[in-house]
Amino acid sequence: MTTAPDTTRAPSPEREQDEAVVLSRVSKLYGGLAAVDDLSLTVHRGEFLSLLGPSGCGKTTTLRMIAGFEHPDTGDILVDGVSVLGVPPHRRHVNTVFQAYALFPHMSVAENVAYGLEQARTPKAELRERVAEALEMVRMRSFANRASTQLSGGQQQRVALARALVNRPSVLLLDEPLGALDRQLREEMQVELKLLQSRLGISFVFVTHDQGEALSMSDRIAIMREGRIEQLADADTIYSSPASAYVAGFVGQQNFVDGVDAGGGAVDTPLGRLRTTRGTGVGVGERVRVAVRPEFIDLSAEEPVGTSENVVRGTVIGVAHQGETRQFLVETGSDAALLVRRPTPLAPALRVGDTAWCRWSAEQVHAFPHDPERSAAPPTAVPDEQPSRPHQGEEHPR
Amino acid sequence: MPEASPHAPAVRLRVPRFALALPAWAWLVSFFVVPIATIVWFSFGYKPGLFGTHANDVLSLDRYREALSPTFFTTFQNTLWVGLAGTGLCLLIGMPTAYWMAVKAPPNRRGLLVALVMVPYWTNFLVRTIGWQVILAPQGWFSELLQALHLTGGPLEILYTRTAVLIGVVYNYLPLMILPLFVAFDRVGGPLREASKDLGAGRWRTFTRVTLPLARPGVIAGTVLVFIPLMGDYVTATVLGGARGNMVGQLVASQFQTAQNWALGSAMAVVLILVIAATVAVIAALAWVVSVPIRARHRLVLEEVA
Repeated sequence: MTTAPDTTRAPSPEREQDEAVVLSRVSKLYGGLAAVDDLSLTVHRGEFLSLLGPSGCGKTTTLRMIAGFEHPDTGDILVDGVSVLGVPPHRRHVNTVFQAYALFPHMSVAENVAYGLEQARTPKAELRERVAEALEMVRMRSFANRASTQLSGGQQQRVALARALVNRPSVLLLDEPLGALDRQLREEMQVELKLLQSRLGISFVFVTHDQGEALSMSDRIAIMREGRIEQLADADTIYSSPASAYVAGFVGQQNFVDGVDAGGGAVDTPLGRLRTTRGTGVGVGERVRVAVRPEFIDLSAEEPVGTSENVVRGTVIGVAHQGETRQFLVETGSDAALLVRRPTPLAPALRVGDTAWCRWSAEQVHAFPHDPERSAAPPTAVPDEQPSRPHQGEEHPR
Repeated sequence: MPEASPHAPAVRLRVPRFALALPAWAWLVSFFVVPIATIVWFSFGYKPGLFGTHANDVLSLDRYREALSPTFFTTFQNTLWVGLAGTGLCLLIGMPTAYWMAVKAPPNRRGLLVALVMVPYWTNFLVRTIGWQVILAPQGWFSELLQALHLTGGPLEILYTRTAVLIGVVYNYLPLMILPLFVAFDRVGGPLREASKDLGAGRWRTFTRVTLPLARPGVIAGTVLVFIPLMGDYVTATVLGGARGNMVGQLVASQFQTAQNWALGSAMAVVLILVIAATVAVIAALAWVVSVPIRARHRLVLEEVA
């Protein structure tokens, strides 16, 4: 990033308070079905907050309610401490980067960026200066006089970002803005977005279904499910102490085994008796779901000596090289095979058909109460690639 | 089919690429170029006698002189007025209707709405126009209703006036305005309007700065589609405008059918074509001139950087 002078940060008195956006017990119904269900959320000043969840979890609806395109059926939304209920989108001090960028095709790059300032009746000289500055910020200054239709996806993305940020909003809303970019460009934009955000100090609310995006950029992540926030925490906490089996399965990968609490941190499962140093949260004899991440399972060709805790014998039924890691699928006799991931230098030389011993520390075992209401198995992995959208054909910028 | 040896010379009939366009050209030549050329040719001739329709052995511009006589000039003026007012009214009514259909109406009802716009258009033109004759008649139910409600003092005096013709043409040509406008508004799409509102523009600003500029091709198509046939309209003017001959279309028809003066009718038709073309050109130029300061106000060119 070029280091343009940081004038986009507007220190006005009413912005001194810590909350940029507050959603308080917000619900939105579509035909009797709650898209957003009694959701409360506070976005702090200068924070990068991601709403992460599968499609249909209400994350986009939440974003659109903050922007003013949807109206909550119950609850209140505050921007800069003031309720925005009934305030139309054009009167909210909030800007959005849309999923498909939505650049105005009949305007040049500079005119697109100037649009918001024009609506605010910014004097022409200041307008020119701020447009140039915003374009510089996203490294698109030299494209200022191009038609917005002549840009690649990544360039359109930058212009959309400049067009929103030039208005110095209280909060910037981003609706899956990287979804249409190819993988390499997407990862580059993640870094840039994060840098830009921390430099400008503007709150970002970032909607995504991609856990990698959320983990790499966010100060805090709200994992959403069926219109509610399942867990709201920083990336570390979500990874190491997921609040529910759903969160555990949504971020990273998990091996799940259902069992019955045997008391004292032991769970009887089809894999045998597993131990956890973390509480199970239920009483003896009740059903629990045990989770252990593939990267915490140790794999060896010989039976480990000295301990029989959390040791499972199995047969390797699949090996996959993944560059820095190697993945093994180990058949253990129960219906589900265990997924094991080892760093390539430490991976045992096992082949398909070999007998292998899996073991893991009791500290890495999470146990969650069996959730009869939401018994649907959480996704063990979120696909990295979405079905491609019509905006492909990326060129590498610069 | 026997297997062709890979070394056998490829026998292929090479058809030139323009062959595909031949039917279109044939159609255009036989149904457009030839009739128009014939009309232009006839317009330089004369009516040889009481029973002849046209002769071209002596060529002159006399028919044009006749066609441009004060009487005809008044009718041309009248036609132009009906054409402009009718197109303007269609635009005025069609714009909000098409906008509502494309933007505000529930998306699953749009097909039905388009069908509703089209249905009257599929009904016989003459029947619909005669229907208006019935409605607008001084003794018609509409006139009586107005009198019963004390909205007018006497019977409705609209039929066989320019107003009646205007009502008729607006009614008849409105679908031709609504459909291209609908398509144009529909293609602008929701995200761009939302982006505009998100950036601080209200409804009206969003419409004038985003929706309308992007729907411009539809506005042009609709205006041209209504204006051109309207200027040549003959049936509506005859049914609702009466024998007074308000429109040039009627004059042309009467020269061909009643007066049997094909030469004069042709000259009038040519003048009509030229007037329509000139009007369209003038309107386009005016629209461009008007848009110059508006475009200049929103233009932003930043100095190029190295």
